[in-house]
Amino acid sequence: MALDQTAPPTAVTPRLLRRSAAARRARHSTIKIWLGAICASIIIIPVALARVLPLPDPVRGVLRDSSLPPLSDGHLLGTDPNGRDLLSRILFGGQTSLVIGLLAIVISGLVGIVLGAVAGYYGGWVDTLVSRALEAQMSLPLLLMLLLVVALFGPSIAVITLVIAVAQWPEPARLTRALVLVEREKPYVAAAQVLGLRRPTVIGRHIIPNILPQVLVVVFLLLAQAVLLESALSFLGAGVQRPYPTWGGIISDGRELFVTGKWWLVTIPGIAIALLVIGVNLLGDGLRDRTRRAKAGDS
Amino acid sequence: MTHNIPMGGTSGAEVVAEGGVSRRSILQLAAFLGAGTLLGPTLVACAGPQSTSGGSASGGTGGKLSITLNRNLVSLDNKLNQYDAAVTVQRAVRQALTRIGLDLKPELVLAKSFKQTSPTVWTVALRDDIHYSDKSPVTVADVETAIKLYFQVKAGYVASQFPEQPTFTKVDDKSFTLTTTKPVVTLNSLMSNILITPAAANKAEELRDGLGSGPFTVAAADSGTGTYRLVRNENYWGEKALLDEVNVSYQEEEGARVIALTSGQTDVIDTITPESAASLKSNKDIEVLQTKGTRLIHLFYNFRKPAGHPLSKATVREALSHAIDHDALIKSLMAGQVTSAEGVVPSTLEGFAQTGTYTFDVAKAKSMLAAEGVSGLKLRAIWEDSEFAGAARVMEAIVGMLADVGVALELKQIPKGGDINAWRRGEAGDWDILANGYGNQTGLAITNLQGQYGGTAAKEKTRDTYHGFVHPEVTSLLDAASQNPDVAARNAQLKDAQEKIWALWPAMWAWTPNNLLARRKRVTTLDLSPGNFYDLSTVKVSG
Amino acid sequence: MRRYVLKRVVQTILTAWFTVTVVFVLLRLAPGDPAVSYAPPNPSSEQLEAIRREFGLDQPLLSQYWTFLTHLLHGDVGQSFQFRQSALTVVLERLPYTITLAVAAIVITAVLAIPLGVWMARRANTAGELGANIATIAGQSMPDFWIGFVLLIVFAVNLQWFPSSGFTSISSLVLPTLTIVVLQVALISRLVRREMSVNLNASYVTIARSRGVSERRLTWRYAFSNSAIPVVTALGTRFAAMLNGVVIVEVVFRWPGVGQLVVDALERRDLPVIQATVLVTVLLALFVQLAVDLIYPLLDPRVRLGEGAR
Repeated sequence: MALDQTAPPTAVTPRLLRRSAAARRARHSTIKIWLGAICASIIIIPVALARVLPLPDPVRGVLRDSSLPPLSDGHLLGTDPNGRDLLSRILFGGQTSLVIGLLAIVISGLVGIVLGAVAGYYGGWVDTLVSRALEAQMSLPLLLMLLLVVALFGPSIAVITLVIAVAQWPEPARLTRALVLVEREKPYVAAAQVLGLRRPTVIGRHIIPNILPQVLVVVFLLLAQAVLLESALSFLGAGVQRPYPTWGGIISDGRELFVTGKWWLVTIPGIAIALLVIGVNLLGDGLRDRTRRAKAGDS
Repeated sequence: MTHNIPMGGTSGAEVVAEGGVSRRSILQLAAFLGAGTLLGPTLVACAGPQSTSGGSASGGTGGKLSITLNRNLVSLDNKLNQYDAAVTVQRAVRQALTRIGLDLKPELVLAKSFKQTSPTVWTVALRDDIHYSDKSPVTVADVETAIKLYFQVKAGYVASQFPEQPTFTKVDDKSFTLTTTKPVVTLNSLMSNILITPAAANKAEELRDGLGSGPFTVAAADSGTGTYRLVRNENYWGEKALLDEVNVSYQEEEGARVIALTSGQTDVIDTITPESAASLKSNKDIEVLQTKGTRLIHLFYNFRKPAGHPLSKATVREALSHAIDHDALIKSLMAGQVTSAEGVVPSTLEGFAQTGTYTFDVAKAKSMLAAEGVSGLKLRAIWEDSEFAGAARVMEAIVGMLADVGVALELKQIPKGGDINAWRRGEAGDWDILANGYGNQTGLAITNLQGQYGGTAAKEKTRDTYHGFVHPEVTSLLDAASQNPDVAARNAQLKDAQEKIWALWPAMWAWTPNNLLARRKRVTTLDLSPGNFYDLSTVKVSG
Repeated sequence: MRRYVLKRVVQTILTAWFTVTVVFVLLRLAPGDPAVSYAPPNPSSEQLEAIRREFGLDQPLLSQYWTFLTHLLHGDVGQSFQFRQSALTVVLERLPYTITLAVAAIVITAVLAIPLGVWMARRANTAGELGANIATIAGQSMPDFWIGFVLLIVFAVNLQWFPSSGFTSISSLVLPTLTIVVLQVALISRLVRREMSVNLNASYVTIARSRGVSERRLTWRYAFSNSAIPVVTALGTRFAAMLNGVVIVEVVFRWPGVGQLVVDALERRDLPVIQATVLVTVLLALFVQLAVDLIYPLLDPRVRLGEGAR
């Protein structure tokens, strides 16, 4: 920022500046971003490299090595009753969970932004339609509906992804609509219209790029929700078909064994989910502070 | 309690007298057992002194027991619902003419005698001393109404166990006959499922309240949350229950039930998984009871495969069974709490015949498959979520075992409440292997055999056979056996049938899990039956 | 005002109808035959057919829907398949448990989250606030069933301070409430902080401060009364959502509420109970929302200004 260029001969010393509210806020958001990035990468990097790392097969186990506790020979995080390496299952399961989460937020982000922008810009019946749909979805018992839909179409990666996307589209839609309502009153939009640009072009080329950073942060934060939702669905028995592991599925399988002393089957994947979600949330929160400040600086 | 003292005194005296009578009468009848709760303890080595004293005029040692079932006990009636543990509670309140004893043989309860007087006629006499908890007598009209209503209720569970509805004919005030068109040699076992209620209060639906003749009465009931409070029936006609009060609740989640037990919130949990049993054994406050069960779980082949399909050959079915390392499965995934089958029904059942054993031999499996020219076989296994303990883990392990003999197995777990029935009938999609449990409420092998292997071409038209198993020579043997009143000849026919079935290799592997029950050590007496139920009236607690 | 309430009530009824219809259609289309859940093991086709007839499941979908709607107008949601009594009664018996849990959770959330949020706003940009901030983010990031498990193992199994499941005494309420509160406090306190820091930095507060109004009065009397509307809205929305069933927490702790009921009913395909649950909870949640809207005028500072001028 412009802080570094402040000329020395004023009473405002760099020390004072560093202690100013604005500087502290900036520092705090940096801390959050870094902390978040670290938490998230502890999980994401090994998950991304799962196929490259020398790991035992996540689906096929050795029954002799049934239910080994963590730090056993050759099994850092122990094994499940089928003798499958827990670390390997968490990392491969993480691939499925993350792919579901990422696909879900891409879909919900796209749908949300498009519908929100259209509703905000055109107003009228389009707006009424979108707003009513948003309200109706708010009043639905969400988890129950998701379980029903999964029961209806069968649990597969595609169905679960879509179900999560449907659950999540309202948030980016509402934010986009609110932001577009503000943007469309700005002079540049009027200018663009006077220049004879078609309305979709105005939305796509001018308005959306202006609001995108803020919306993208919210969409990114939805990744955390998506991962949590996938695990909740698996917990309630609407997970991806066996024998492919997902985080929620590993926890769900381990929960009846949890009380029999095999704590690692639930605790460790739980920590993995929590670390990733905390990471994403911290990162998103830090970024949101930044975009807000940037916006505040613009106006 | 004070208001009960005079009543308790008189009925206690009656109990002492009846105790003597019933024991004598049973010796005369050369029956195994009788008199409801009275004789349960005398059979069992660990029975407390109360069974020999015969006194217990005060009604036993008292105390409260809290039990947590694994399913919601929707009512204290069994017309529509029956599962093992429910029997325990339902029979504490309502009784039948007979019951299935600890040795899986029928015992007399409300009946004084229950005899097959001709191939199609059974003659039954009621005991003279029996009455409901309000002291009104149990009449033959109550029995007639009960039979009628059990068959009237739509899609009743109990009625479906009977080959036909027996015709009731009253002989006198205390006796009647039950007549069937074909001989039903197991009618005394089957009648243990028909619980008797006063005729006026009985309806063709599940009863939520009302009178029973059992050792307990209902003090409070909430079928929605599945909680019941039973208190001792001070007017009980037999030997009174030892406990003052029994609290029944339910908890489907195994982990939560284990927690409830270890934290002392409940005293008894039944039907637990081998894993929980293994971990609870190390808890010094808890004791795990195990009996060999009557439930058969098998990896059953689909018998609806077209003629050209490898699975339509018995040799291929046999070859695959040699790929299953059941010892490893039993040891690692079932905590040693199951027995690999040695026949086509559980060995605990009356009429079981040993026909062979499952063996693990990868080389043999491979060579047999090669001899049949089978390679690159792709199969699909289905099962319903939680059909048996650790189902998903077992199936996932079997994927690996079959891969070792070059067979690719795809898994399809059908969620609860899903369409497992449509799958089983072959309407939802094709499959090759079904992992499925088959329960038994009668203690008789023939019930299982007819249910699974008694298929006919006519039944197959409506897909009502057991996964397409239709072998007329087996069916006719079973039909003959079911109508044969001579026990020895019947068992010989059943043995013949079982050997024929085994040679067809209907299952890749089959096993019988132990019934596992865990109790806190304050529960000092509890006798678990192979049928996975127990008599609440003889349960004793300390402290 | 009356017009507004009337309009909202009509909207509520329409939304409830919409929801129930969606659920009705989804339930009928989903695979799985309810008859199987209530038939004996290894049922024959005739037995299944008989049960389907009894439940009215043999009728075409539209006629089933028509029957359902006409009965609904008479307040009849149908007979529960598994309990063989009015599905509405079954749901209403369970509802008090869910309401108890929701009330306990929302009260504790409000008591903890509001002071925490205010504190974070007042100490904005200090190390303490950063710590609290990160802690609340962590709180909202943990899967609720996982928190439930951990609490269960620590407090019910190892320490045995509280019962593990079901509802036996008032202490049964502690662990499920705590599980919900962890997430809700995180969410609400962050909202309070956001609203409060906007208001604390607003010019009217600065002016009041320059006139010597005490910090305490500034915080609560000025800034907080202006933050009240969004906070109450959020609490109301959260409460309404909990009435829709705190499904996961109820399942983990086997709480005998409607969330647990509906998951069981789904597994056993007890269609009338699922419909009754959805209907009752959606209506209830909508009316809570309506009540929150009606509280607004009471919280609006302008109304208070009017009072002050009196």
